Amino acid sequence: MTIFGVAIAVAVLFSLLSFNSGYEKQLSGELDSMGIHMLAVPKGCPYEAASLIIHGGVIPKYLSNSDVEEAKNIDGIEVASPMLLQQFYKDDKPHIVYGINIDDMKRLKPWWQVEGRFFSQTEDNVMVIGRSQAEEKKLKVGDVMPFGPDQIPFTVVGILERTGTQDDEFHFLPLQVAQRIFGKPDQITTIAIRVNDISQISAISKELENIPDIQVVTMTQVMGTIMNLVGSARTLLISVIIVAIIISVLGIMNTLLMSVNERTREFGMMKAIGASGLDIGRLVLIETLFITVVGGVIGLLFSALGSGLIEGFVKGIIPYSPAGKLMTPDPGLIGLCLLFSIIIGFVCGIYPAIRSSRLTPMEAIRSNLE
Amino acid sequence: MKEEVIVAKGLTKIYHRGSEDIHALKNVSFAIGKGEFAAIVGPSGSGKTTLLNLVGCLDTPTTGSLKLNDIEVTGSREKDLVKLRRENIGFVFQQFYLLPTLTVRENIELPLLFSKRNGYKSHIDEIVEMVGLKARAEHLPGQLSGGEMQRVAIGRALINEPRIILADEPTGNLDSATSLNIFKLFHNLNKQGLTLIIVTHNLELAKSAHKVIQLRDGEIARKTSSRSLLIKARS
Repeated sequence: MTIFGVAIAVAVLFSLLSFNSGYEKQLSGELDSMGIHMLAVPKGCPYEAASLIIHGGVIPKYLSNSDVEEAKNIDGIEVASPMLLQQFYKDDKPHIVYGINIDDMKRLKPWWQVEGRFFSQTEDNVMVIGRSQAEEKKLKVGDVMPFGPDQIPFTVVGILERTGTQDDEFHFLPLQVAQRIFGKPDQITTIAIRVNDISQISAISKELENIPDIQVVTMTQVMGTIMNLVGSARTLLISVIIVAIIISVLGIMNTLLMSVNERTREFGMMKAIGASGLDIGRLVLIETLFITVVGGVIGLLFSALGSGLIEGFVKGIIPYSPAGKLMTPDPGLIGLCLLFSIIIGFVCGIYPAIRSSRLTPMEAIRSNLE
Repeated sequence: MKEEVIVAKGLTKIYHRGSEDIHALKNVSFAIGKGEFAAIVGPSGSGKTTLLNLVGCLDTPTTGSLKLNDIEVTGSREKDLVKLRRENIGFVFQQFYLLPTLTVRENIELPLLFSKRNGYKSHIDEIVEMVGLKARAEHLPGQLSGGEMQRVAIGRALINEPRIILADEPTGNLDSATSLNIFKLFHNLNKQGLTLIIVTHNLELAKSAHKVIQLRDGEIARKTSSRSLLIKARS
């Protein structure tokens, strides 16, 4: 029971820490892989909403094509790519649509590989879709399907090779086509911007904000915003875990004290045959540490084997989750969790050890006899 | 005159239970010589085990003096008592107190873990053979008979080569045939020069002792040779 209690405490701790570190890494990697240094969004658009954009969220304010032209004229901007983000529902499922300028996107995301081909900006009723979408809808290159709010036939000209990011979930259309089918002529949700020199981000951001309609959100701010949103869920989770660990520690200590009580006569015998109080205390402590370290190892195996389930559960209660595997075994984290199990062993074992070491041989031997 | 290894003078032990004082021993004095075999007899509650525990440094007297090998035990620090127990005394209990997860050999070896004496490992085979358990050395206590378990306990008491063996009702849980074998074992040990003090209800065992201390209500009722005990038992 003691081993099981420690195993659960360590498994929970490892899962949380592993998820947390994986989440930050994946999120940071995802933002890097966007190839974007900042987003120009409509003024008044809060950071939270701007953060939604990178996950395919739709915000109800728009920039115009003229804003894009003004942005492109600012020195130091390498790419300024307009995007219209929209979504429509079919079969009660949201379908996220990115209206893009394909030439700009190829420059922003040079790692994009496509099965089939990319569309040209002048084509009509064509799209490129993310790999996950293609698999979910069992679509192949060349398939035609009804698409958009009016369910107009669209041809899938290309399927993106898996990117491990949110791009796998989206439908990409030429910007003008997206503007037309969603009835948003000359309207743009955001301008994705990459600069020539990242040390100039701050200066360029200020210049961009001189354009009356534009507010700039850098990727660092986006990450901070998402981490803040996640932080509140994480705080709740940590609080629950701390309570669980305290209950588990008290349970383990109680079990150990009961075990020490049951073994009182054994300790009395040991003292009679030459053991000192220190010998008995050390014995109890070493046994406790052994139990908790074995529990720790079992807990780590538990969480390694059940990482898929745990990840699915935690992803369900955290507001935003990057695509890809979040829980990966990190040697530092494994060491930390083993250290935690040793500390639990020490904390739980020290009092029973002191108590058993202080027993006089007489009271130990005579226990349970009367 | 034999060298005296145990000298008790005016040993008194009072236990406190609530506001009540229980006089377990009252002014008990005796001496045991080197290589002597002494039996402590008396009815239940007469203070036999209390006296044995005082002699074994498992407990301290309320008043009085106790010397083991000329070392005053009364008032000694726990650290010194541990050393005295390790180097001078081997204990045998009525209920054996063997560790169920250890084999016969490991149970016998256990005191070496605490005394940290080097070079005693080779001694284990000798002890296992002496207590007649060579064929059972790798068995667990659960696989042994009562007599065999008591032999293990005796082996465990002998491993540190103590000068004194203290046994509390060593045949109390054994049938008469097995008890006889244990008697023989104790006699052999005594012949080899070990000082033996045995608490017993068993008159057969007591009458083979050199000295019998008869307790009643915490006091010595009679100190006698085993021969006179034999006469008393027959009358």
